[in-house]
Amino acid sequence: MNTLLAIRDLHVRYPLKTGLSALAGNRPSFVDVVHGVSLDINRGETVAIVGESGSGKTTLAMAVCGLAPVFRGEVRFDGRQLERERNNRLNPDRKRVALMFQDPVGSLSPRMTVRKILAEPFRIHRTGSSSPEQEARRLLSLVGLSEDFGDRYPHQLSGGQARRVGVARALALEPDLLIADEPTAGLDVSIQGEVLNLMSRLQQQMGLGIMIITHNLNVVRHIADRMAIMYLGRFVEQGDAQKIFSRPRHPYTEALLSANPSTDPDAGSGRIELSGEVPSLLRRPAGCEFNTRCPRAGDRCRVSFPGLAGDFGDQAYHCHFPLD
Amino acid sequence: MSATAGTVYRIFAGLKKDPLGMAGFVLVSLIVFLAVFAAWLAPYDPLEVDVYNRLASPSFAHWLGTDQLGRDILSRVLYGGQVALRVSLLAISISMAVGLVLGMLAGFGPRWLDRVLVVAFDTVRSFPTIMFALAVVALTGPSLNTVIGVIIVTSIPVYARVVRTQTLALRERDFILAERAMGASTFRILRHHVLPNIIAPLFILASMDVPAVVGMEAGLSFLGLGVSPPTPSWGSILNDGYSYLRNSPWPIIAGGLPLIAVTLGFTFFGESLRDIFDPRLRRKDQ
Amino acid sequence: MSQPVLKIRDLSVSYQTEAGPLQALRDVTFAVPAGKIIGIVGESGCGKSTLISTIIRLIAPNARIGKGSILFKGDDLLRMTSAEMRALRGDEISMVFQDPMTSLNPVRPIGRQMADVQHRDALSRREKNARSESMLGRVGIPDPAAQLTRYPHQLSGGMRQRVAIAMALMAEPSLLIADEPTTALDATLEVQIIHRLQELQRDFGCSILFISHHLGVIAELCDEVVVMYAGEVVESGPMRDVFLEPRHPYTRKLLECDPARIAEPTRDLPVIEGSLPNLVQLPDGCIFRERCPKTIERCGLQRPRLAGDGHQASCHLLDTAE
Repeated sequence: MNTLLAIRDLHVRYPLKTGLSALAGNRPSFVDVVHGVSLDINRGETVAIVGESGSGKTTLAMAVCGLAPVFRGEVRFDGRQLERERNNRLNPDRKRVALMFQDPVGSLSPRMTVRKILAEPFRIHRTGSSSPEQEARRLLSLVGLSEDFGDRYPHQLSGGQARRVGVARALALEPDLLIADEPTAGLDVSIQGEVLNLMSRLQQQMGLGIMIITHNLNVVRHIADRMAIMYLGRFVEQGDAQKIFSRPRHPYTEALLSANPSTDPDAGSGRIELSGEVPSLLRRPAGCEFNTRCPRAGDRCRVSFPGLAGDFGDQAYHCHFPLD
Repeated sequence: MSATAGTVYRIFAGLKKDPLGMAGFVLVSLIVFLAVFAAWLAPYDPLEVDVYNRLASPSFAHWLGTDQLGRDILSRVLYGGQVALRVSLLAISISMAVGLVLGMLAGFGPRWLDRVLVVAFDTVRSFPTIMFALAVVALTGPSLNTVIGVIIVTSIPVYARVVRTQTLALRERDFILAERAMGASTFRILRHHVLPNIIAPLFILASMDVPAVVGMEAGLSFLGLGVSPPTPSWGSILNDGYSYLRNSPWPIIAGGLPLIAVTLGFTFFGESLRDIFDPRLRRKDQ
Repeated sequence: MSQPVLKIRDLSVSYQTEAGPLQALRDVTFAVPAGKIIGIVGESGCGKSTLISTIIRLIAPNARIGKGSILFKGDDLLRMTSAEMRALRGDEISMVFQDPMTSLNPVRPIGRQMADVQHRDALSRREKNARSESMLGRVGIPDPAAQLTRYPHQLSGGMRQRVAIAMALMAEPSLLIADEPTTALDATLEVQIIHRLQELQRDFGCSILFISHHLGVIAELCDEVVVMYAGEVVESGPMRDVFLEPRHPYTRKLLECDPARIAEPTRDLPVIEGSLPNLVQLPDGCIFRERCPKTIERCGLQRPRLAGDGHQASCHLLDTAE
């Protein structure tokens, strides 16, 4: 198997504000946003990370790109450990991982034309067979935008167009891995299809590995080979997407899948509604983190965190009382 | 560069809709023109003494009259404009450049550097400028360079603070994060992505700062702490005229009017620029 | 049947732009019956936001209301003075926004803000707090008494949106306008909020005008649907009729594009070819013509009108079919 990205037991820890408030209360001085995540992504494969907002999906992406403080664990890219970002030092592996941001317009430099934005990666890494401007033109046609878009500024683009520019920039240096953070959030269904089709087409052309972060399960069902369900900074279940959709083992996965609103007026039965609120990361529940909302929780769940069950390469989950 | 041409076009399109801003722009242009071409426009040598013709009222020979030494006031005002603009141009451009660098360092650099710089800015700002100037002059003696130096030191924190705040706000924006994710160096991010986004407000601030600096120069010169006589300065013209106010009001009027013109011109122009570049701050009229 | 709470007829709104008037809404007609949940669906740029701001009469300074009427319980909102309008807002008509963080005051505790919205009632602070508490309980917030002293940033996104809903319902309005209230939330929370809205609607008997671009949410929640495209109502009717038997080609396309409706996983998702028409220089004839898969000659000549009984659509093809 051609493993591109291997994440092992990754913890991302942010320090909390210190000062008088920390002395007064008994608040912890740090918060673990990603809490022991392991994941493999292979070449040419799409892996979806699913979970509610605040579950640590974006932080995980940032950590892979070296933009979040890794507290423990490792991120290996093509077998090599990825270093954290250091100022003024270009990591040659850095350009092999590309990141697409959630906010399509906001991630483009507002005072630059699209052409300049697309030439940026080549200027930063001083690569490209031809001039950065020519490369920019090539990228525009790659994502199906006409050349005159090169003269526009980000605020003159629609959401879908800005998204295309984002895809073009991410793929500029022909990365091996593309991390897409909510690539379809805020897009209308018709444009959502365009962007996803574009990503799939380019994946086939370039043999990309894609890590897609989303809470849109309809999208995941169509494009993901494998998926991981995140809850409070942990993967509660991960594995083959089709298998998880047809037979979830973790109760949270089951609730999440059943909560997906459908446009079919006759569907919408058999829904599992979770009670209660997502606990704060500052007060991580003891035992299994999901026990406060889990319909199946027993005494054991409040005491000990369940170890990994199942097969890591196929379908694996953390649950004392898995579903059949 | 088409971007520059676009900016110029935008400024003029905006000025067209704002008569006050246009008036400011015309006034500013006029002041700059008069000061730059003072050597050609001035009818007399500003230092030429004519003891038989002291404290003369305006006439065809001396449009604004003469001072207590019989020097032509119009010529002195024109040359004084040169001094005022040289001081403001030098002082503002240097303090803006230094403030820009320090502000971006504070806003983008490590947290300890930010703290050190902020304390430094606050320390400098906590001295009243005039007190600071008095202290420096007491040590070095009055000169134009002292004036410029004092203004630079006290203005740097003003610019640096604005730059720091803007940089801090930009720092967490996605497009900066995107650059970091691509592996761009800090210098590159600051030069290509932070700077273009903060430079416009900075120029607006600078244009509104001109009257303050000109006033500061005039004030220090008035107190005898600025340019040394006989070099003409609006401040020294006022000081000279002050002693003879009972005999002739002309020196005071001639020295005061350009100060008012500079204040109004740059303020109107600066406010208009601000409206053009930042519509959110626009005055409430539709 | 009683008269509708809100009845919009032939509403046209345009924005003055440098290129000329941008016709954001054209002849918008629909009604919100008493005690019903009406969903407005449409993609960005279809005029949803203009419609809402026109209803509550908080329009942009460069907007011009061309013609039409907005009858609220028989009174035309467009003819009211701003004082009359202010009296209606927050009392008879309430709103819930997409991002509760922006509509809640960040430096005031929840309880204070909930007391503020009861400024019309002559009650003591204690009575107001008691009402706030019970309202928070009804929208499903655990331990409501404790929440009154908390600040918006101390609550999670789902809780904040529930607080916003509780505040909107405080005055027991006849009409609740909800502008994409679940877009910022995740699927599980979205479903919770929707079901809570349905329950509350039944309890209070108010009408809800629910705006969303999420088709699934509309299908789940609404009794009737209004489909908008480029500033026009292209189809409206009972939810089941519109979603099961869409009549307008745009509605059909929109539903086809929904990945949830495609059973077999595919990497080639359907899209609507083309882009929105320029609303400054409107094309002749049907607004959807340039993107429509099956046009006839008439589509380029004449603008179709909404036609039909109950389930209405504006498409020339419907005439020819019958």
